[in-house]
Amino acid sequence: MIELIELTKRFGQLVAVDHINLHVKQGEIFGFLGPNGAGKTTTIKMLAGLLKPTSGRALVDGYDVVAHPMEAKRVIGLIPDQPFLYEKLTGVEFLRFIGSLFGMKKDDIQWHISHLLDLFELDGWGDELIESYSHGMKQRLVMSAALLHDPKVIIVDEPMVGLDPKAINLVKRIFKQKSEEGVTIFLSTHTLEIAQQLCHRLGILNGGKLIAMGTLSELMKTLELETGRTGTLESLFLTLTGKALND
Amino acid sequence: MTEVFLLLWPKAKSIGNRFKHRRASDLIRPIVMITLAFLFWVVIFAVFYNVLVYFKSIEILGEILLVKLLAVVFLTFFLMLTVSNIITSLSTYFLSEDNKLILSVPVSTEKVYLSKYLITLAHSSWMVLLFGIPVFIAYGTVYGAPITYYLWVAVILLFFLVPPAGIGVMISISLVNIVPAKRAKGALVVLFVLLLAALYLFFRFLQPEKMVNPERFSELVDYLAMLRLPTSPFLPSHWATQSLFPLLKGRFDESMFYFLLLFSTGLMSVLAGSWICRLLYYRGWSRSFESREVKIKRAPLLEGLFNFLLRPFHGSTKAMVIKDVRIFLRDTRQWSQLILLFALVVVYLFNFKALPLNKVSGISFYLENLISFLNVGLAGFVLSSVAVRFIYPAISLEGKSFWIMMSSPIELRRLIWSKFWTSLVPLLLLAEILIILSNTFLHVTQFMMVISTVTIFLITIAIVSMGIGIGAVYPRFRVEDVAQIHSGFGGLIYMILCITFIGLVILLEAWPTYVIFMARTGERSLTFLQLIEVIFCFCLTVLIILTAIFLPIKIGLKRLSRIEI
Repeated sequence: MIELIELTKRFGQLVAVDHINLHVKQGEIFGFLGPNGAGKTTTIKMLAGLLKPTSGRALVDGYDVVAHPMEAKRVIGLIPDQPFLYEKLTGVEFLRFIGSLFGMKKDDIQWHISHLLDLFELDGWGDELIESYSHGMKQRLVMSAALLHDPKVIIVDEPMVGLDPKAINLVKRIFKQKSEEGVTIFLSTHTLEIAQQLCHRLGILNGGKLIAMGTLSELMKTLELETGRTGTLESLFLTLTGKALND
Repeated sequence: MTEVFLLLWPKAKSIGNRFKHRRASDLIRPIVMITLAFLFWVVIFAVFYNVLVYFKSIEILGEILLVKLLAVVFLTFFLMLTVSNIITSLSTYFLSEDNKLILSVPVSTEKVYLSKYLITLAHSSWMVLLFGIPVFIAYGTVYGAPITYYLWVAVILLFFLVPPAGIGVMISISLVNIVPAKRAKGALVVLFVLLLAALYLFFRFLQPEKMVNPERFSELVDYLAMLRLPTSPFLPSHWATQSLFPLLKGRFDESMFYFLLLFSTGLMSVLAGSWICRLLYYRGWSRSFESREVKIKRAPLLEGLFNFLLRPFHGSTKAMVIKDVRIFLRDTRQWSQLILLFALVVVYLFNFKALPLNKVSGISFYLENLISFLNVGLAGFVLSSVAVRFIYPAISLEGKSFWIMMSSPIELRRLIWSKFWTSLVPLLLLAEILIILSNTFLHVTQFMMVISTVTIFLITIAIVSMGIGIGAVYPRFRVEDVAQIHSGFGGLIYMILCITFIGLVILLEAWPTYVIFMARTGERSLTFLQLIEVIFCFCLTVLIILTAIFLPIKIGLKRLSRIEI
C-alpha cells in the first residue's frame, strides 16, 4: 500500500532523508521512530505531497506521489503534528469544506460529519468557531477531517500531541479498528509505548537513514544478537540511535 | 534595568539576525523601500514648505496660521498615536506569542510592563516619525532656525511620544479587565477605521478646492485663525507646539516651561501605567484566555444564493469560494477595511459631481469627455489600491493552514482560479459603479460611455489576475498581521506593475479614442489610414490586456507548485 524506493530529500547540504526503502502492506500499522531531526516529519511530508523528494519515489496505493499526486492524495488522510486550521470557520463548516475538496457527495459528507463529531466527542461544538477550540479539540477535529473521506491510508505525525489520556485511548482504538478494516496507517512518534502497543512493524530512523526495521520481536532479536543482552524497545532505540544508556 | 534590556534582547537580536543573514541579492528590497521612503519625505517636505512659505507671507495672520497649523499637526499625531498605542498594546501585552514564556520566568511585573511599553512605543510611533520629520524640517527651513532647533525637535518629539503610549497602555490594560483582549482589539480596529473614514469624508465635504477662490480662501484663513480646538492647554499636543514654536526663533527660555510639562507628564504617565499594570495586568491576562463561545447560525438564504451563483463551478471551487467569503466576513481586521473603501468611493464620486466644468464656457463638452477618458486611468489606480489590500493577499491569507490545500486532491490551478473568481466579481462591480456613475455625472457621449466601461472591465480582470498571480509569487504564509502581506516587497512590485499596465493601456487607447470621438462629433467617417491605426492600437491593447490576464496566473501557478511547506 505504501512503498518508498530510494527516497531522498536534501535541503542544501543537509541530507534530511537518505535513500529510504520500505514497503507497508494493506491494513498494517507502521511506526516510524527516531530522535528529533531524524527525518520522520520530512518523510511524512513527502508522502503527503507537502514536500517534493530530491530523488527516489514514494508510492501510495500504487500511485507515485509526484507523478500522480491527485490520485495519491485522494486515498490519504493526513494528520499533522500541529493543527493549523481556518480559525474563522466552525467545526462543521471546516469538515464540509474538506469533504467538498475530496469530491464527496453532500449527503455522504453530512452523515460522516455527525458520525465523526460524535466519535471524537465534538458534538455540541460543531457550530462554534474553531478559534474557540482547545489544542486537543483542534487535534480531534483534524483527525475527523482525515477520516472523513474513508481513506485507504492514514498518515499521522505525532498522533497523541495535545490529547488527554481519554482521547489517546480513543485514538488507539480507532486506529486498531481502521487497521482491521484494511486501512494502512503510517505513523511517526516519539512515544515508544504507543509504538509498542499499536504498530505491527517499526522502522527506526536516524540521521535520515533507516537503520532498523521489523516487528518488535524481530528488532529485539537484533538487539540480542548485537549486544548479547535482552531489553526493551527503549533500550533498543537508544542503542541504535547511539545514545548511551544511563542505567 | 538589566532585566528590561534582557527582555528586549530577543527582539533586538531577531532584527539583527535578519540583517546579518541577508544575502547580497536581498539588498534590492531595502534599497527600494528606503528610496521610496526618501521620495515620500521629499514630497511631504515640498508640500509643507510651500504651504508654510505662503502662510508666512500673509500679513498679521501669517504667524497665527503657522502656530495653528503646527497645533493641528501635533493634535492629529496625538490622536493617532493614542489610538494606535491602545491597539498595539493589546497585542504586545495580551496577544503576543512570547507572553507565556516571559510571564513564566521570575521577572517582576514592573519589568515586564516597561519592556512591553518600549516595544509598544516603538511599534506605534515609527509612522509618526516618518510623517513628522519632514514637516518639522520644513518649519525650520522656512524660519531659518538655528541648529539647536533640530536637536531640540528630536528631544521634544521623543517626549511627545511618551504620554500617548502611557495613556494607550493604561486604557488597554483596564479595557481587557472588562472585555477579553481579542474582542476588544476587533472593536477598536473597527472604531479606528470608522474614525479615519469620518475624518476623510469630513475634510472632503469641506470642499477645500473652493478655497482656490480668493474670497473663499479668506474665509478659510479666518476660520483657521479662529479655530480653538487644537489649542486646548491640557493636551500634550499643545505643550509640544508651545515648546517647539519659540525654538524656531531661537527663544529657548520660552520653550522650557512647556517642555518640562511634556517631560513630567511623560514620566508620570509611565509611572501611572506601571501602577495600573501592577494592579490589573494579571487579571486581564487571565481574562484574555477566555474564549468566546460563538454559535454560528446557518444562513440558508445566503447559502442558497451562493449555491445558485456558483452553479457553473466545480464542487471544490465552490467550497473554496464559500470558505473565503465566510472567513472574510468573520474577520474584523478584513471587513472593517470596507468602511474605508466605502468612504473612498463616496469621495471619488463626489469629486466628479463637484467638478466645475460648466463654468468653462465653450469647451466643457470636450473637457467632460476628456476627463471621462482619463477617469478610466484614475479608476484603474483606485482599483489597484483596493486590490493590493484585498486581492494581492488572497493566497497568503491561507496562512499556516495551507497544508490543507497542499494535502488535498485539488489542483493548485483550481485554488488560484477560485481566488480569482472570488476577487473578480466584487472588484468588477466596484469598477463599473465608479465608471458608470462618474460618467453620468459628466454627461459624456454614449461612445465614451461604451469605451470606458469596456476598458475598465478588461483592466479590472487584469488587475485581479495580476493580484492573484503576483500574490502567489510572493506568498507570506507566516505573518502575524495581515497588513504585513501587502506592505511587503511583493505588494510594491504589484502596484508598480499595475500602474505601468494601466498607463500603457491608456496611452494605447488615447489616439484611436480621440480619432473616433472627433470623427463622430464632426459627423465624418475615418480615413483608411486612421482605420488601420485604430485597429492596430486596439489590437495591441487587447494583446497587452490578455498578457496581463494570463501571464501572472501562469507564473504564480508555477511558483506555487514549487512551494514546499
